[in-house]
Amino acid sequence: MGTLFNVSHLSIGFAENGRMNKVVDDLSFSMDEGEILGVVGESGSGKSMTALAAMGLLKPDAHILSGQIHFDGKELLSLSKDEQSRIKGNDMAMIFQEPMTSLNPVMKIGRQVGESLWLHTDMNKKDIHQSVVQALADVGLNDPEKLCGQYPHELSGGMRQRVMIAQAMICSPKLLIADEPTTALDVVVQEQILQLLKQLHREKGVAILFISHDLNVIREICDRVIVMYQGVIVEQGRVQDVLEHPQHEYTKTLMACVPAAEPVKDRKNPVLTMEHLDVYYRENNGGFFKKKGRRRVVRDLSLQVYDGEIMGIVGESGCGKSTLAKTIVGLNKDYTGTLSVDDSVRPQMVFQDPFGSLNPARRIGWILSEPLRLRGIKDKSERRRMVCEMLEQIGLDESFYSRYAHELSGGQRQRISIGAALLMDSRLLVADEPVSALDVTVQSQILRLLLDVHRQRALTILFISHDLNIVRRFCHRVAVIYLGEIVEMADVKEIYAHPRHPYTKLLFEAAPGGGRQPEKLPEPEVPEADAGGTDGVRSEGALTSGQTEHTCGCAFYPRCKYRTPRCQSQAPERINVSADEKNPHWVKCFAAAFGRQ
Amino acid sequence: MDIAVKKKRNYNLIIGLGITGFFLLLAIVGQFWTPYSTTQMDAMSVNLAPCVSHPLGTDNFGRDILSRVMSGSGMTFLVAACTVLMGAVIGTIVGAFTGYFGGWLDEIIMRLNDILLSFPSILLALIFLSFLGPGTMNVILALGILFVPSFARIVRSEMIRCRELDFVKSAKVMGVGPVRIIFAHILPNTKVSMLTAAAIGFNNAVLSEASMSYLGLGVAPPLPSLGRMLSEAQSYLFNTPWYAIAPGVAIILIILGFSMISEGLRAMQR
Repeated sequence: MGTLFNVSHLSIGFAENGRMNKVVDDLSFSMDEGEILGVVGESGSGKSMTALAAMGLLKPDAHILSGQIHFDGKELLSLSKDEQSRIKGNDMAMIFQEPMTSLNPVMKIGRQVGESLWLHTDMNKKDIHQSVVQALADVGLNDPEKLCGQYPHELSGGMRQRVMIAQAMICSPKLLIADEPTTALDVVVQEQILQLLKQLHREKGVAILFISHDLNVIREICDRVIVMYQGVIVEQGRVQDVLEHPQHEYTKTLMACVPAAEPVKDRKNPVLTMEHLDVYYRENNGGFFKKKGRRRVVRDLSLQVYDGEIMGIVGESGCGKSTLAKTIVGLNKDYTGTLSVDDSVRPQMVFQDPFGSLNPARRIGWILSEPLRLRGIKDKSERRRMVCEMLEQIGLDESFYSRYAHELSGGQRQRISIGAALLMDSRLLVADEPVSALDVTVQSQILRLLLDVHRQRALTILFISHDLNIVRRFCHRVAVIYLGEIVEMADVKEIYAHPRHPYTKLLFEAAPGGGRQPEKLPEPEVPEADAGGTDGVRSEGALTSGQTEHTCGCAFYPRCKYRTPRCQSQAPERINVSADEKNPHWVKCFAAAFGRQ
Repeated sequence: MDIAVKKKRNYNLIIGLGITGFFLLLAIVGQFWTPYSTTQMDAMSVNLAPCVSHPLGTDNFGRDILSRVMSGSGMTFLVAACTVLMGAVIGTIVGAFTGYFGGWLDEIIMRLNDILLSFPSILLALIFLSFLGPGTMNVILALGILFVPSFARIVRSEMIRCRELDFVKSAKVMGVGPVRIIFAHILPNTKVSMLTAAAIGFNNAVLSEASMSYLGLGVAPPLPSLGRMLSEAQSYLFNTPWYAIAPGVAIILIILGFSMISEGLRAMQR
């Protein structure tokens, strides 16, 4: 097979404060026809820039300083705009990270997908419609005829990503550039999109340039991988070779796994107890005559968190895990049932988005002093001393005292958030996806910091995450939440070795490298296969409003592949399937109960 | 390879500050010393054209126009500063509480706000002044009340934006009280938009004060005021145009200065 795409000596720079800041530096690589090449690196490593340059989509303040990009024998950068756009629509296509914003919200799906056919071919209306329907069917969407007349906001994130892929594939391009196509998606949906890309690759022979920060995703889909760091390629080769025997220091730190928690000694004092907790979410539409809606987001939740343990909470977005976190720290008072927090622990929270959680108008010193002022430490120099001590402890230094939050990186901001919680003398930290907005290398640093303070202060951590790989190593116990209910809860080792609930199994199978065998390539044993639908659309639509308020029966019933008539009419009770009474393994499933007998 | 890229200077801010600073200086000096008395009439030098002893000429009573412009700008600055200060302080308090707490009080106050905003401000000022009677203090009071809604709106919208942000939630989790959250945590975030609003408010205040005085409702004679000077100059527009030109240009420059400052501040925000 010949070379399809070749980048040679490409340099891209940004003008910033009077200096040219190089983000891509003398980059060269090439791709064969029909190959899947992964590009991995952290944000700012220049991986997206390269793709945008090839597509001619660079921002006006980014300058291509030198280099060439050859595609199918033509040099792209020297072509005229017209020639470029002909190639781009026809032979090269790109899909983006954000399925929410990458589709035009006021254009119907059919029109949007068919757009490049209108532009690049002389096909008539009927033929275009035919092709659009075919393309939508190819990406596994049900009822493409109906879909053509719908608008993007009527679709779920996974469906939008499929529409975007259909849009990209409709002209049968030779090269598909996928820039973090699954990052914004839940694990289960991510797995489906990866399967779809592999299938398109197999059936249509399209080459894929797959950009991602997630090594596990790269491992699952790519043949070859390029590791980028600060605009240069630090390592490249076959995926297996690079990931198993990394040569470069940076690749090694990328591979550096999640730090592991030490086993917890004994669980005695519950610091947080929830019994039959129902939490409601107020839907406030604003306006003078607003109609107040109240939705139950967490249902009948019973959970005890013991002193000094790290409790993991996993589930898809929208399952109520964030609402639960807010309720525990007292931000949401609308609940029924028991929620008792030991007074001495002063629960504090670390938020997901490091860019919103620090006051932009105040200096770091002031932000970190606030907990001390609240604790009644009046002496200014004493406060300053304590803040500086804390800055050291969280891996920063005194110079941060007089800085503003916007001068800090995401990881540094998360450190400040953790520091503020510690200055509050908190012994229960509720961490809501504290590392999911961070780069892989920064992730492990922050996790290590959390583990350090956990060890030093016997801190109890409630760790909410969607990343099963992190939870497996970082937590002592895990609760799996589905639609506001704990469907399974056990020790980490136990639950990863013997998941009993069908939903837990589904999650573990979908997680790239998160299942028990990372090398396994899950063949189309997608759970919906036997559930009737032709594709995963059913499962993606699972968290729509229709199913959030089920009246009776098991919440997971519509998606379950082991379902029985009984599951529809009767909700399973929580049962312990573990023989060890000290370490119970709770499951809410009839099938799991039978499994034990 | 370093390609030098020019950093854009904020000329708006620099020139605006220059003009405003010049007039402020003139006004402050004018409070303590003026070339001639501002109120003393002089029958010997009526309607003099600009000359060496009277750089901007004299008016129909023989008063030195430069002295009156200096003193009059001082009055203009005083009225504008007091009005903006009054509007900003009351507006901030109203906007902060209604925005942060929301609810029915917010609805009522904001609808009152809308009512105030829906009338032309000059008309409302006239109505207030016809109740209160003319005079410097009353002009400040009337204009100050008119300025409350615009500041209240700005602060309210910032409060609504910020109260849902994580840093406010995290302060709540720590146990910071609502008053401290409003004033110590959220209010510093409104600094830039408040400064911009204050600069625009200053403009409106200068203009409104001039209009009020022009209509005879503002500063009481014989105290000099730029607006009153304009109204007095009206009758002599063709014979002694400098009488109208001097206060007119002063008003234009003061407003230009503040406009450029607010433009510059907005550029800084970006």
